[in-house]
Amino acid sequence: MNGQNCDLLILGEVYDSGTLAPLEHVNVLVSEKATGSVSDEEGNFSIQAMCPGSYHLVISHIGCTSQRVFLELEHDTFLTLYLDHSDHLLHDIEISSGVNHSQAQKEDVITDRIISDRAQEGLAVLLESVAGVNSIKNGRGIAKPIVQGLYGNRLTIVNNGVAQSGQQWGNDHSPEIDPLSAGKLTVIKGAAANEFMGSNLGSIILVESERIEKEPHLHGKLNYFLESNGINNGANLQIQKYSPKLAWKISGTFKKAGDRKTSRYFLSNTGSQETNFNLQLEKSISEKWKSELYVSTFNTSLGLLKGSQIANLTDLASALLQDEPFFTSDKRSFSIDAPKQKVNHHLLKLNNKYFFDDNTWLEFTLASQLNNRKEFDVRRGDRSEIPSLSLKQYSHFAEAKISKEFDDHWSIRTGYQFNLVDNTNDPETGILPLIPDYRSFNSGAFIVWTKELENTILDLGMRYDNIVQNVVSISNAIPREIIRYDNTFHNISSSLGVSYFLSEKTKLIYNLGYTSRSPGINELYSQGLHQGVSGIEEGDNSLQVEKSLKTLLSVITNINNKHSLEAQVYYQHIKDYIYLEPQDEIRLTIRGAFPVFKYQQTDARIFGLDILGTYYVVEPLSISLAYNYIHADDLANNLPLINIPSNNVKSKLVYNFLKHVKIGNKKLENLELEINNKYVFRQNRILISQDFVAAPEAYNLVGMTFSGDLQLSSNRLRIVASVDNLLNTTYRDYLNRQRYFADDLGVNFTLGLSLKF
Amino acid sequence: MLHEQLTTKIISFMKIMSKTLLVLFLFLGLVACDKDDPTIVDPVELITTLNYTLTSTTGEIVSFSFKDLDGDGGDAPVVSTGTLKQGTSYAGNIVLLDETQDPAENISEEVAEEDDEHQFFFQSTVDGLTVDYSDTDDDGNPIGLSSSLTTGDAGSGSLTIILRHQPNKSASGVSDGNITNAGGESDIEVSFDITVE
Repeated sequence: MNGQNCDLLILGEVYDSGTLAPLEHVNVLVSEKATGSVSDEEGNFSIQAMCPGSYHLVISHIGCTSQRVFLELEHDTFLTLYLDHSDHLLHDIEISSGVNHSQAQKEDVITDRIISDRAQEGLAVLLESVAGVNSIKNGRGIAKPIVQGLYGNRLTIVNNGVAQSGQQWGNDHSPEIDPLSAGKLTVIKGAAANEFMGSNLGSIILVESERIEKEPHLHGKLNYFLESNGINNGANLQIQKYSPKLAWKISGTFKKAGDRKTSRYFLSNTGSQETNFNLQLEKSISEKWKSELYVSTFNTSLGLLKGSQIANLTDLASALLQDEPFFTSDKRSFSIDAPKQKVNHHLLKLNNKYFFDDNTWLEFTLASQLNNRKEFDVRRGDRSEIPSLSLKQYSHFAEAKISKEFDDHWSIRTGYQFNLVDNTNDPETGILPLIPDYRSFNSGAFIVWTKELENTILDLGMRYDNIVQNVVSISNAIPREIIRYDNTFHNISSSLGVSYFLSEKTKLIYNLGYTSRSPGINELYSQGLHQGVSGIEEGDNSLQVEKSLKTLLSVITNINNKHSLEAQVYYQHIKDYIYLEPQDEIRLTIRGAFPVFKYQQTDARIFGLDILGTYYVVEPLSISLAYNYIHADDLANNLPLINIPSNNVKSKLVYNFLKHVKIGNKKLENLELEINNKYVFRQNRILISQDFVAAPEAYNLVGMTFSGDLQLSSNRLRIVASVDNLLNTTYRDYLNRQRYFADDLGVNFTLGLSLKF
Repeated sequence: MLHEQLTTKIISFMKIMSKTLLVLFLFLGLVACDKDDPTIVDPVELITTLNYTLTSTTGEIVSFSFKDLDGDGGDAPVVSTGTLKQGTSYAGNIVLLDETQDPAENISEEVAEEDDEHQFFFQSTVDGLTVDYSDTDDDGNPIGLSSSLTTGDAGSGSLTIILRHQPNKSASGVSDGNITNAGGESDIEVSFDITVE
């Protein structure tokens, strides 16, 4: 008390970052002193009798991600704070009101709190909480996102500003990205992809890291989870420290799971293991020049269901008749044997941003990626440790972007990008490669204009890509020779976006986009037996560029700042849509008979509807409902498209306990109980002639989650306990390739702990 | 006026950037030469040929052969069959070869080495024609590289030979030659048209 002036005040106001309304009942706690204040109905709070010093304020509110603010208190201080109030939507998706990138696009954001609460999930399953997004799976460990019917080569995933470059063409190739390294996942539907390079028909997924907090102390987060199904166990540790000279953040994840279980039996050989590490460095070289280095490595081993290793049609026919898959063990094992996948993905990125002034910046990015994918089958003669597929892909990317905001509310963003991809098969496999070696050079340029009017935002974007491919393939016929192909493709894309505030509470977003996508290497040059799918796939080197026109209309409204409703309709027509067409030919080889599939082009049409609404029955109790409908056809052949999700209904009942629970002298607060269900309709549109078996029956899954926060002096512990498939329902999902051989997962209890320090 | 200053700044920065980009792309231009030839893989596991040789008690030899040199490729396989005598017992022997190699590699040796992980199954649609196993692995279960084929009355139909890798030899019926519960993966499945006279 040495003559310190301990009568300082901390005053302030707290607002909801989405609606900008003041927030009542917000707890503002000074963690060093365990004292604080609660905001009133105008969002005002005050903390008195403070001594000068350094403090960490923890701002929390039911349904919001808690925030920590660092304060050097020397005199009375007034703070204006914004909290992400995420509870008016299904599964805590925040409707972004056009924050960055294209302002007039429909963006759905998955915040870092959701990522942290569901630390056990991979990227695709986390994204399923966004309306219109599903995943195409092969067991629990392998999942790729599908956004409004588009996936693989038609959906770009941008990892920290760089389009993820790997073997995206494979339906059983998961994106090699750790969501725990991300602070935010954004799904942009429509034609917003103009700004990014990558093969897509408009929709993109952005994975972004958080900026390092401007906090001089060492801070971080530790996440731990344990799942009962598979005894999947994992932890993620992030540590960061800021200094004006250099800010750094490191993060590491380790996950390990054993065999998963259906409602009745174990899925033998479905264990997995993942080890990831990231490093982020930020430096302000000058007040105007910011530099960032990002390094990440993702490494995974994934087991594939032993009973799904089939060869020819006779094998498949006998596997389809089994009630339980062949090789099912009555015990869980943690070993991962053939058939399995081993994938490593490394990324190195250097980014420099120069601010000419507040409205003008120039950004320059250089990035390199290495994707190393090995797939192992059960082989004769001790060769199961030699991969059947071994591909190494290097990508080198360079980008220069300029963004400028002009006085009369309009802005321009333009850039030039270059990407070099080098793909090589390792002959160690002893098997002729499914896709050939190649090198491709992609140069692209884009420009986006945005204009803000009173209630309207307009944007117009254009993009041109030039792709040159240098392909070296091995002929299918005997004698084997090397055949070279040189291709050039031109892709042009353009989009128009309009967002309009019909009233203070209602917003309309309209989007019209024309996108083109050049054929992928697998579509042009695939050759051979695609292991595990019992089919011979053959590419067509005369395929043309796909051209698509997509239109989307979204309506977003809220009632009394509480209830909300969002609806989106979309319609997409794709000319020269590339797909695998089953041929009449059954090819006879010494291994038996195999169906043959050839890549063809047709005219396709996809349309759908996504509706989502939340209603507050009383203050702490809300109910949310979502319905997703999609209809996709091959127009030329008058058939439905395959691998399109069936319609589904999701609902959620959430109860917020307004009072906290005392545990010793600590408070367990922000308590929330959620009961949810998902009803998936049968995929009735697919004809039996388009598949090996009829589509599985409709099913309903019920789940429950209980969560709360515990403030431990200056650290905050969040506890999330959840149950998936509470009723241990037996089911199979149309989009899960494992459905040919086995049921989907049974009940799963998960405990997640997340400690912020 | 501010716009002019800004524009000059942008222009000069762009000049620096374009020069850097130019250097970068020149460097990439050097790298941008054609991709190297791949190593034409020597398929290590390929079985191109199955020869099923039947020797009667009187020393007559009938051979069946299935040859598919291009694997998954579109060239049709070459199948040759023979005619069997009715009411006769034959000693059967299967040889598997990879004839893309010179000299041809004997794959049946590999199968014999991993005998507990392999079993041949014989399925016949010819009335009265049966095939029994003449060999066993270390566990006492059949393999099928050696077999004995017995014909009944005259007739015709087909004989299908399947080689399963990692079958469950102890599942019901498997050791008797019934493939239903065997599981595993088919490495070979070939059919021969057979006439018994």
